[in-house]
Amino acid sequence: MTGLFQLPDELIFTTLTQAFPCREPQIRALATLLYPRAAPCRNLVVYGTEATGKAAITTALLAKLADHPHADDHDDDFSLRYAIVNSVECITARHLYETVVAKTARALAWDAAPSRCETLSQLAVELSKMLKYAPRPDGFRFVLVLDAIDRQRDAPNTMFPALARLSEIIPSLTTVFIVTSPPPHFLLTPSVPHLHFPSYTKPDFVTILSLTPPSPLPNTTPQETADLYSRFAAAVHDALARAASRTLPSLSHACAALWPRFTAPVRAGTHTAREFSKLLVAARAHFHDDTLLDPGVLAPTTITTTAAPTTSTILPKPDTATSAGAALAHLLPTTPRLLLLASYLASHNPTRHDVTLFSTHHQRTRRRRGGGGSTPGRRPKHRKIARKLLGAHAFVLERMLAIYASVRGEWMNSKSYCSEEEGVVGDADIGMAMATLASLRLLVKVGGAGGAGGGSAAADVMDCGGKWRVNVGWEVIRGLGRGVGVEVEEWLIE
Amino acid sequence: MAGNELISVPFEEDDHRTAFIFSSGTTPTTTTNHPTTARPSKRRKVANPDPPPPASQQDASAAACPAWPALFGGAESAHAARLRRTLFETAWPVLEERIQGVLREANGATLDEVTGFLGGAAGEETGKLTAGFIITGPNIALQDLLFEQLAERLGAAAQARFVRLRASEAPNLKAALKKIICDATARGTEDDGEVELVQGGRKYLDYDLESLHGCLGQQQKQQQEPPRVVVAFQDSEAFETGLLTDLITLFHSWRGRIHFDLLFGVATSVELFQARLLKSTARLLYGAQFDVVQANSVLESVIKSAVAGTQATLRIGPSLLRTLVDRQRDQVAGIQVFISSLKYAYMCHFYANPLSVLLAGADRLDRGMLQPEHIEAVRTLDSFKAQAEAAVEARQLTHAQSLIEDDEYLAAQILEQGQKRDEYILHLLRALHLLTCSGLTSLSFTELYILALSEGIDISQSTGTLPLEDAARQLSPSDFLALIDRLLAAVRAGSPELGLAGWESDAADDFVHPLTDLRDEVDGLLSRSKTNGAALKSKYSAHSRVVRTTVVAQKVQLSRDSAALTDEDKAFSAAIDALFTILAQSLHSDPLAALFLHETCALDTRAPYRDVFVPRPGATFARALARPHDYLACACCAGTAAAGGIAPSLPATAVLYHLYLEAGALVNVADLWAAFRALVVGEDGDGEEEDGDGERAALVGFYRGLAELRMIGFVKQSKKKADHPHTTKPRPRHTYTNTHIHIHLPNTNNPKMEHPSPHQPNNPPFPPSQPSSSFTTRLSQKNPALHAKLSQMSLPLAPLVQLTTGLIHPCFPRTLLAFWLLSDSQLDSLAHFYHQRTPSRWTAQYPCPVAWPAGLGLEEKRMKFGRFVGLRGCESPTVVMGNVGWLGRTEEEIEEGARRARDGDEEVRRKMGWF
Repeated sequence: MTGLFQLPDELIFTTLTQAFPCREPQIRALATLLYPRAAPCRNLVVYGTEATGKAAITTALLAKLADHPHADDHDDDFSLRYAIVNSVECITARHLYETVVAKTARALAWDAAPSRCETLSQLAVELSKMLKYAPRPDGFRFVLVLDAIDRQRDAPNTMFPALARLSEIIPSLTTVFIVTSPPPHFLLTPSVPHLHFPSYTKPDFVTILSLTPPSPLPNTTPQETADLYSRFAAAVHDALARAASRTLPSLSHACAALWPRFTAPVRAGTHTAREFSKLLVAARAHFHDDTLLDPGVLAPTTITTTAAPTTSTILPKPDTATSAGAALAHLLPTTPRLLLLASYLASHNPTRHDVTLFSTHHQRTRRRRGGGGSTPGRRPKHRKIARKLLGAHAFVLERMLAIYASVRGEWMNSKSYCSEEEGVVGDADIGMAMATLASLRLLVKVGGAGGAGGGSAAADVMDCGGKWRVNVGWEVIRGLGRGVGVEVEEWLIE
Repeated sequence: MAGNELISVPFEEDDHRTAFIFSSGTTPTTTTNHPTTARPSKRRKVANPDPPPPASQQDASAAACPAWPALFGGAESAHAARLRRTLFETAWPVLEERIQGVLREANGATLDEVTGFLGGAAGEETGKLTAGFIITGPNIALQDLLFEQLAERLGAAAQARFVRLRASEAPNLKAALKKIICDATARGTEDDGEVELVQGGRKYLDYDLESLHGCLGQQQKQQQEPPRVVVAFQDSEAFETGLLTDLITLFHSWRGRIHFDLLFGVATSVELFQARLLKSTARLLYGAQFDVVQANSVLESVIKSAVAGTQATLRIGPSLLRTLVDRQRDQVAGIQVFISSLKYAYMCHFYANPLSVLLAGADRLDRGMLQPEHIEAVRTLDSFKAQAEAAVEARQLTHAQSLIEDDEYLAAQILEQGQKRDEYILHLLRALHLLTCSGLTSLSFTELYILALSEGIDISQSTGTLPLEDAARQLSPSDFLALIDRLLAAVRAGSPELGLAGWESDAADDFVHPLTDLRDEVDGLLSRSKTNGAALKSKYSAHSRVVRTTVVAQKVQLSRDSAALTDEDKAFSAAIDALFTILAQSLHSDPLAALFLHETCALDTRAPYRDVFVPRPGATFARALARPHDYLACACCAGTAAAGGIAPSLPATAVLYHLYLEAGALVNVADLWAAFRALVVGEDGDGEEEDGDGERAALVGFYRGLAELRMIGFVKQSKKKADHPHTTKPRPRHTYTNTHIHIHLPNTNNPKMEHPSPHQPNNPPFPPSQPSSSFTTRLSQKNPALHAKLSQMSLPLAPLVQLTTGLIHPCFPRTLLAFWLLSDSQLDSLAHFYHQRTPSRWTAQYPCPVAWPAGLGLEEKRMKFGRFVGLRGCESPTVVMGNVGWLGRTEEEIEEGARRARDGDEEVRRKMGWF
């Protein structure tokens, strides 16, 4: 006796639940909504924040459902085919349509060469050809999964509603939209079931992380290590996840980065694996490290070069921005360096202070330069944000060159190697240095409105009309300035 | 390189002219006092009055005689000229090859590291994209070479597909993907529609990575392992951040199927690169940083092998070399610039110095080659004078006399000198090699080389150019032995970089043997002192002085006295002295300038280099405009203008430039015209008729001059009300001129109007020409609005002249009313007449050029024409026709506005202190 409603085999659920812990309700709901014999729906929206297992679970479940032999069933009518399309890999909407058609054809083992598919209507035609008009058994369902469809590039406005209508044209089609957060009236069709994948909670995280314990520490049993790891994961979650890193990958990354430092005392033999609180106190400084949250593009060098990084408790600290400035100072020749500093000054000093700052006709003592000791007694009425914290302002090229010309003498005199016959401002070397800085995106051109003539074109490379803006931050500039022996802070007006 | 092509291409006569005079036709129309009254006939194809010699003939002559132009005013023999050329052609390619070799070697370490990293990363499973960041520095030329080598290396070693991306080749995601797929599948770019390969008959889009996947999959069947795809972003700074993010995300999502590795050429620093990326994108990368050998060390090795090495035929003099090196350090020059400057120096020397034939070896240079001119030229050299004077000082009077008088004697000396020169260079290089190997000095090789060439090497402490005595005396016994070993090794091995072979046999007697003896002696001393239990020291070492404290009667006495030296110590001190003497002897070298005939083998003038490699467009323009006579050398302005003054016969642009120098930050165009007119036409015209014509020609010149100044960037028209002038000026005279008044040109029909300046409004409210009793006058007296409108409409407009002829179009509206009554065909004809309808080279030379596309409406055309003649408010042609009140602004209003702007300007200026 088979009823109208029949859930798939329980075995599928157990294996899937093992692979994806803490997701059982979602798996069951998804199976119900997709399984041809249960309650197959036409459109389904699966949503949830990133790294909550939406796409992975959908893929795994569909694979199981499609493969699962209907051994206990007397009829073979109920079959399921599926295609998964990741929108991130599709460059244009047309690319998406073609991929959908190609994958569908492959899933159905469709022989005929598909024709072009440039628009939504052609997509509907192609899919109808394969799914609607071809003879299929009654219980046949085709599931089309559109992963990250909300990230599709150049998606036309009509795409979502049209894709949702596909299943109205083709009765045997189920379209699954996997999105991060669906807006209301997402598909402009009523009563689309939504399935939410919530973020993991702390017990979830601990459970998941404990599934893959690290290799056992020396002098401890694997069981002790696993226990320590689960307590450690909870501590990491408390320290980091609540405030900043809520996703599973970032948390597991943080755990992986912290684990060697945390267990260093155990390896060194000063503490045992059971003394969790002592270990925690010893490693407290590492839990405050911000770089865990922002790992950066460079892999920790210790891993690539030396084989035994785990014994050291010293952080493999990424280079800070000051060293970036120093490196930059090392790379750039003198003239571009000074030009970059002058550009920074031009971007961050108001024009009205230029005479005060840079004029050589004034006494040095009259210069009101910032950065010195601030008077502690009086409090200004309006507290201002320091200009170096604000964004860079645009400046005209001539102003920057003038600043360069005026400060160059002073800055270069402090250096012994100043060559006395330096070119005058405006010769080709300056132009070349500017071009280099611009090509390195250290200086950027903003605007670029036409010159004085009538209808001249905008944004012309050769146009001298536009303004410029410095594109590096304060830390880099400070390092750069110190590299040439200039304290840039003295030249900024607060 | 490009130089080889340059040599084979015969130069045109015009290539080396200082100045070109641009004449628009056979009849010059600018600034002449005899203007043409008739329009010039239409230009048609006529025979060139001065045809250049046919190119084929030139080619034939070049092929027949490949010698360079004869020097000595043409007296040089063709044989000598050809020899100079041959010398250059044999000398330079050798060097170039060496330089390329050095550059390729320099990247070797980086290549190994990157290959190793990519190979190692292939094994690891990180779930991230492998990314190598190669810090290349801002030297873009070297980047190219490096990535080329990387492509070769990775393609060969790891079976990887290498794709190089430059920002200019990949403006957007589609183009970048297309390039990646094309390069990775090694397919041409010929099909730009869909790529027609496929399984199941499906066509792929050309930016679909699926096709790459398919293609790689096919190869996987053949080769077991799927090839990796290495994508190298050569200039990662120039890529758009969004594009990089897209590409990285895309590669990451394909991670399981296609193995992508990324390489980024980073010119600044990885931190700056990372700051540009999104954090979520940066998380996808797993990278390592590689440093390329920096420009400094590359430069050092290039100098070693190409400038200093024995294979360099020509010596670059110390001051020129210093300039080159400084420029490398101070400017973004790059090694390529250095190489081309080097080549330029070679070319200069062999092309322009007739004595460069003396650089040929003895086999190609004989007495017959030396002409009397050569001998004569040698006698003018500084080093010849020095040689002769030295001979006189040394009382070798016959030698001096025959040098000066006997040609044959001098020729023999000259021929001998080649040998001496080679010896000098060899000795110098050996000394330098020993110095760098000894490690006694911390100066770099380049510094040492420059020092040795300019001042010679003398290592004595008090008088020498490179005092090393103290350093030598501080040596401990073990250092002493190590130093001797290093020196001996240096002598034995020579320096392949410098092209020095070992010279152990040459220097056996005066260097190797004494040193070996010294080493044996000190060795013995060391072992003896060891058995004695005392440390061996010299009398120079700091340890020999000991401070003693003695307590005498509860007072502490400090006394410094030298510790007793043992016999071994004394012997060691003597050994140090001996070593220093040997070193001083063998390292001693004279400066280059002391060499007889050093001018023939060294180039040390900075002038041509400077002009060629450091152009100064600003200064050049200013000079040319200030003193055009120096360049044009025309007869008409030989008088005052030659001395730098202003003459009416100067080109209009030059006259305007002089006026502009005298003007302040803001100048009124009408004032400028008045001054220009007074200069060029003269205050009081001779006659009515001629005055009008001369003025029109002057006006044409004025237009063109002003347009040229604007093009160069000296003046700028301001759209705003006068903004305050720039507070700090880069070029004190290059101020920006704001023309805030439209150009009001003199009405040639009205002889009274000599000063068209708006400061003196010369238009009475009532047009004087109208009869006072007319109907409209009476009507307007009753109706003020009508009166205002009438006076507005009767505002006279100054006509513009055609640039080519100086004529005024007959339909030109003389009043505002006439402007409003212009018909469509009239407007078209006007636009055509003033070169605005069909763009030509004259178009942009009018004061306010406008675009005149086809299909404009009547009112749009009228607005455009209004803007062309300088009416206010016509800036935007799409203005609503209701708001045209501005068109009727009277002179008073305009003047008032100008005054207001000027006053505001004055105010700002006063506030600004000295400025």
